[in-house]
Amino acid sequence: MDFSRVELSDEDRAFLDDARSFLRAHVTEDVRRRDRETGDNFDEGVHLAMGADGWLAAELKAESEGGLNRVRRRLWHLEKRRAHVPWVTWGTTMMVAHSVEKFGSPELREEVLPGVLTGHVRLCLGYTEPEGGSDVATCKTRAVRDGDGWVVNGSKMFTTGAHNCQYVFLITTTDAEAPKHKSLTMFLVPLDSPGIEIQGIRTVDGDRTNIVYYSDVRVDDKYRLGPVNAGWTVLREPLNVEHGAVDAHADGLQDVSIMAHQGGFMVDAVDTAAALVARENPDGRRALDDGSVAYRLGRSIARMEAALSTPQMYGRVAIAQTMRDIAPDLMDILGAASALPIEAPGAVDGGAAQYVFRFAPLVGIYGGTLEVFRNMIAQYALGLGRPDYSPPKKPS
Amino acid sequence: MDRYELRREDYSLSKDQADLQSSYAKFFKTHCSIDAVRAAEPAGFDKSLWERLCATGATTMALPESCGGDGASLVDLTLVAEEIGRSLAPVPWIDHVCAARLLARLAALASDADCTPGVVGGERLVGLDPHVASVTGTRLIPTGSIADDLILRDGAEVVRLTFASRPAKVDNIGRLPMAWVDPGADGSRTVLARGAAALADYQRALDEWRVLTAAALVGLVEETMMIAADFAKTRYTMGVPISTLQAISHPLANMAIVVQGGRNLARRAAWYLDNEPDERPELAASAFVFMAEEAARAATMAVHIQGGLGVSVEAAATAYLVRARGWPLAAGDPGASAQQIADIVASRQARGRE
Repeated sequence: MDFSRVELSDEDRAFLDDARSFLRAHVTEDVRRRDRETGDNFDEGVHLAMGADGWLAAELKAESEGGLNRVRRRLWHLEKRRAHVPWVTWGTTMMVAHSVEKFGSPELREEVLPGVLTGHVRLCLGYTEPEGGSDVATCKTRAVRDGDGWVVNGSKMFTTGAHNCQYVFLITTTDAEAPKHKSLTMFLVPLDSPGIEIQGIRTVDGDRTNIVYYSDVRVDDKYRLGPVNAGWTVLREPLNVEHGAVDAHADGLQDVSIMAHQGGFMVDAVDTAAALVARENPDGRRALDDGSVAYRLGRSIARMEAALSTPQMYGRVAIAQTMRDIAPDLMDILGAASALPIEAPGAVDGGAAQYVFRFAPLVGIYGGTLEVFRNMIAQYALGLGRPDYSPPKKPS
Repeated sequence: MDRYELRREDYSLSKDQADLQSSYAKFFKTHCSIDAVRAAEPAGFDKSLWERLCATGATTMALPESCGGDGASLVDLTLVAEEIGRSLAPVPWIDHVCAARLLARLAALASDADCTPGVVGGERLVGLDPHVASVTGTRLIPTGSIADDLILRDGAEVVRLTFASRPAKVDNIGRLPMAWVDPGADGSRTVLARGAAALADYQRALDEWRVLTAAALVGLVEETMMIAADFAKTRYTMGVPISTLQAISHPLANMAIVVQGGRNLARRAAWYLDNEPDERPELAASAFVFMAEEAARAATMAVHIQGGLGVSVEAAATAYLVRARGWPLAAGDPGASAQQIADIVASRQARGRE
């Protein structure tokens, strides 16, 4: 057990200084404002600068291939969070790039990966379908053989970042007769292919995601990842990472659970609220002197610290659930002005608490809903058996 | 405090800690059945179990080497506390070690003093008043009916009380050896220390008590969860085990989440108290506030899952239920701890923004 500060070598200290000055120079207030306006959670200027200065390659590559060592990797992640760097599209790009590296043909790797390192190529996830929900294996988007290529038809929800990406990591079904986990094939589909239509959707937290329609989209066979009908294997790997099923290192240099990054927005809101209730009002009193304010803040902090301590798949639920549970109390103790959005005159906490309230539903849905994870805990950690999914009654 | 500074977040146990944990798990499994727990309810104390426990070195380990102890870390102690909660052991180990460590901090446990070996070895039982909010006058103390010495705050003084005849035990929901104690009553009252430093030492004892009680509640919740889960796997409705129904399995999953989070938070709080006590002083109370609330919720759900069988006074589930409430309540309203957390964090944040 160890929670101590990591002693930095001179080289690591210099690395940290570089990281900070890069982020200060490129992640400006303008970048953050534009990000709020577009909801893109991606900034091309910042991203290309990261590519040009080698930050993308350093993060994407394993240490053995010249990438960051674990201390620097952790420093880089923490500093990016401190600077509020837009993060979603780079996150999906890294996940998919690893699959391309592992399952793509040499030709495809050559087409895609150099651009990932420079920042010119970005990759997004085409998993969820309008009628599919959390079960990625209930896939209706079909790919049908056509000569030496494929024709894809269907639609995907929540393809976040598609309008800033060049390829989508697409789950298709290629054998309607086979059981669902033996009927899937993965493709890396170029998003400029004819027949693709990207429609933006704004979500309640202010972000933008997309619904993407595929109408008779021709895809060359070189864009296939892994064997036909073996898509489940290709898909599993990034999902395992996303679900926290990959073993943690024992050096304490990574997040305790997935979605710790999202939990950071709750930490910001709590710390801001704590500072605000300690301010003296013109009448010399502090909100904190009201026992009900102190109680609600203290209970919120206790619950937040518990969530931040909760490991692995348990922590995934704890963080999202705690965001949902404490955001209303944080808003209440700040009063009516906590209703105001960031940048509005008089927005007491810069909209931090109400942002957590609006963000919390998404955090409990995307990346596998809370129910998916409660099912996993019940089935695999507690041995309670597979959930009972009784078939619908037949009409008599 | 800088939330983005590079610190390790390593919750793993060392080999020694894992061995300590499994040896106490085994100890309580062997010597503290649910029948033994029930049998000790009238007194709130199982003296022979206490003697056995002390013989393993459970009290000695908790004290500094300067007074004849083994200098275990507070993290180590959370491992023992969790097993006490798991087995509902009717022994005042948490109170005793917190009080004895307080005596050591107050320099009242000199290695050459007559009473020291007894306190270190557990033959002379020490208790404390775990109330977080300052209490004056007569009060309920969880070890009041069995302790040889009681340490408590009385105004700005930290005093030791010794009674010629111990106060009478009162029935209570936590099945603790609880008694009303009047610091002004007959008996010997020794002022151990006074002033801000003494009260800070006492506060540290309260932090340790809350961390260890949180850890005990983690063990308590985990065990009542496991019993409820086993029941749910073998109880059928409409042809399926109720454990496969999400109305049952998801509350059980929530308990598992509480166990994982509460356990890690208690250990992290203990680590900071051991290593950097001024860095995160809100964590001990946080672990306690979280587990005090969640233990009652979890223990109630565990009873509920077992339905008509769960509510019986003979069911293990009800033994867990009453202690889930009664153990943390011995410190008074947990809301006082929540307010303390708010004070600590708000002043830290306000300072950070000046």
